[in-house]
Amino acid sequence: MTKARALKKTLPLFMLAIPGLLYFLINSYLPMFGVFIAFKDVNYAKGIFGSDWIGFDNFTFLFQTKDAWIMTRNTLLYNLVFIALGTVFSIMIAIFMAELLKKVYAKLFMSGLILPNLISMVVLSMLVFAFLNADSGFVNKSILAPLGLPEISWYTESKYWPYILVFIQIWKTAGYGSIVYFASIAGIDKSIYEAAKIDGAGKIRQIRTITLPLLKPTVIILVLMSLGRIFNSDFGLFYQVPMNSGALYSTTQTIDTYVYRALMQLNDIGMSAAAGLYQSIVGFALVVIVNAIVRKVSPENALF
Amino acid sequence: MKTKKGLTLGILVMVVFSLILSACGSNNNSSSSNKVDEKAVDEIVFAMPTFNAIPEDLSKVTEAINAITVDKIGVKVDFKLYGPADYAQKVNLALQSGDKMDVFTTLGQFTNYVSKNQLYPIEDLLAEHGKELIEIVEKDFGPDFLKATTIGGHTYGVPVNKGMSLPISFVYNADMLKEIGKTSDDITSIEDLPAIFEAIKQKFPDVVPFGPINVNPSDTGLINYIKGTSKIDFLTDTSGIGVVVDGDGQVVNLYETDAFIDGVKMMNAWFNNGYLQKDAATTTITSTELMASDRLFSYMGGYGGMEAASSISAQTGKNIEMKRIAPFYFDTNAVNSVSWLVSSTTKVPEAAVKFLNLLYTDQQLINTILYGIEGEDFIKVDEHHVKFPDGKNANTVSYTAMLSTGIVGSESIQYQFEGINWSDVELKLKENKETERSPYFGFIFDPSPVKTQISAVTNVVNQYLPGLVTGALDPETIIPKFVQALKDAGAEAIIQSKQDQLNAWIAEQQ
Repeated sequence: MTKARALKKTLPLFMLAIPGLLYFLINSYLPMFGVFIAFKDVNYAKGIFGSDWIGFDNFTFLFQTKDAWIMTRNTLLYNLVFIALGTVFSIMIAIFMAELLKKVYAKLFMSGLILPNLISMVVLSMLVFAFLNADSGFVNKSILAPLGLPEISWYTESKYWPYILVFIQIWKTAGYGSIVYFASIAGIDKSIYEAAKIDGAGKIRQIRTITLPLLKPTVIILVLMSLGRIFNSDFGLFYQVPMNSGALYSTTQTIDTYVYRALMQLNDIGMSAAAGLYQSIVGFALVVIVNAIVRKVSPENALF
Repeated sequence: MKTKKGLTLGILVMVVFSLILSACGSNNNSSSSNKVDEKAVDEIVFAMPTFNAIPEDLSKVTEAINAITVDKIGVKVDFKLYGPADYAQKVNLALQSGDKMDVFTTLGQFTNYVSKNQLYPIEDLLAEHGKELIEIVEKDFGPDFLKATTIGGHTYGVPVNKGMSLPISFVYNADMLKEIGKTSDDITSIEDLPAIFEAIKQKFPDVVPFGPINVNPSDTGLINYIKGTSKIDFLTDTSGIGVVVDGDGQVVNLYETDAFIDGVKMMNAWFNNGYLQKDAATTTITSTELMASDRLFSYMGGYGGMEAASSISAQTGKNIEMKRIAPFYFDTNAVNSVSWLVSSTTKVPEAAVKFLNLLYTDQQLINTILYGIEGEDFIKVDEHHVKFPDGKNANTVSYTAMLSTGIVGSESIQYQFEGINWSDVELKLKENKETERSPYFGFIFDPSPVKTQISAVTNVVNQYLPGLVTGALDPETIIPKFVQALKDAGAEAIIQSKQDQLNAWIAEQQ
């Protein structure tokens, strides 16, 4: 009877989940069948199954040059910065919005902050180009020139791009990322705040001792999930926004752009499968490791 | 309880089914295309890239094509048209997923298709069913035409039959040239250009004297210029790692040759003198766009025939002229980069080759494919020329693929658009035969033994080359870095592999 009751309770929920589960099944689980292609020398006359096994040869191109270090470093560091700063800014935005007295304003600002997330990277790259291009860019002509500073050739100076890319990424995603935190804050029992107020706690104190600790589980889950994709990068951000400028490769090359540029001419599905598998395995390992650490430190917050 | 469970399960099943059905619903009308009587008629899929808008309904043109092919060779054609950006992707997807795809073209990927065994060897079938084809290509180009797509005795495709010789031309705004008091006679070689650029810069301070012909990645035409003047054979690999200079048999790295270093130094001097825009290496604005808005005086590029300037003039709305400043040099890649191929997965190779034969030799078929239905989509003006029906243009006729003239069939039997001088086609065919050929014409490099190294050097070339050919980077400091980075990426292995294959090929020719 208890089993039947449990089933009765979970079935509708399960049905709600079906579209999502189907999506994962079709887009994430079925393609996994193809991982063996990463170990094959694909030959169309022999077919995918008949092609020769070549062990790890397909993976070597990823580690062929000094670029291997640069692109791995870039991918990891950018993602770490995106995760860290993104979380901080998202939480800040969420707290500010929650503290706004008039909910109309909160909704208005929220929509405004989410808007950048809807802009395609290609369009965004043109916006950035309008700011930074050498001949008529806003930054060179309207900011640096009036100040008497020398003009900067943005698309050939790689040292500025870590800041530019981080700025763009945060501007684009922080507002959207704050939605989940905003919802969590809204779910916090108001009576806790009232009790704190009676005890004489100010706004800052309330945020530090109530809001932030109660947000911890949400933060851990979201960070864990983003760690799984730490070896992947937003292709549009790293390829379109720097205008594919060769001079910027030292700070804009990531694993995804490297694979794209390397295989654009070869069209070798074995090698691209190898790159994808490599990224997934590292991401998977990271999630497992970090989750293990979380389980050690605070078991109730671990994902699994 | 039980009935309720059954009910929920029923709903569940319904939800799943409706999801699946709604996903399928959108494409269930694409399979029922025109049905002709199917008695002993082989069916092939023929995919062509078009640079015009893709019409929604291809059935009329497909019917017109089939009327010709079923009647003449008993082959029914499923005609597919894709834009240039997704053509390769669509074809590759069809080949990889096992969809039917019989006759298609390369857009510069010939060797890759061969090394992955995606092509059907057609030498025997061509000898049997392609006599007319062989006749016309030998008449228009020369007896060595099919060498460009033949590897180890197997012919894997037929290059498009057109004016292949693209001598390097200096393309400029004639009105501006007149204003600085010069004429086209003052331009005879690349050495004459700096004086002209300087005068342009003085007279029109807002105009950039010289710009890249292609952007993203930027290309100033310098590599092509060096190729023509120094007779460089790229050995079918555009990366430039492993080329032969002037037929001396030694495979070397292009980026270490004097020709390249001198060329880049010249470009760097131009850049430092302000003859190119500051962001020439990264700009995304095309040269024609800049020319149309009077911001650019000139660029350099390879053009066949003498009529190209008039089409650029029409495109930009300016008075554009061009002057040849360097010859062209035939290596294999110059000829096979656009070739028509038969897929190795084809079930009907004979029908595919019969169709290829007709594609190169049948005036009615090729012009139907290019211009559509006579009277509706185009009107004949004279023997060689057509125009749009009154009141129509390229965007309002129901079908045209007129911009694909350079990538399909034989140019010598295609109609030209009204206003283009027919003698230009004859000139192009004459130059086909007269342009100097590399002694290694017909050598095709198989990249598969060194594909790891090729993927790595491709990245290095992308990183350094645009900055060097636009003169934006200082050659003194950057070229050594560039060469070192190429070595680290495995350039030597590629050069060695090419040298071995080239030696074997030379031995085979004797």
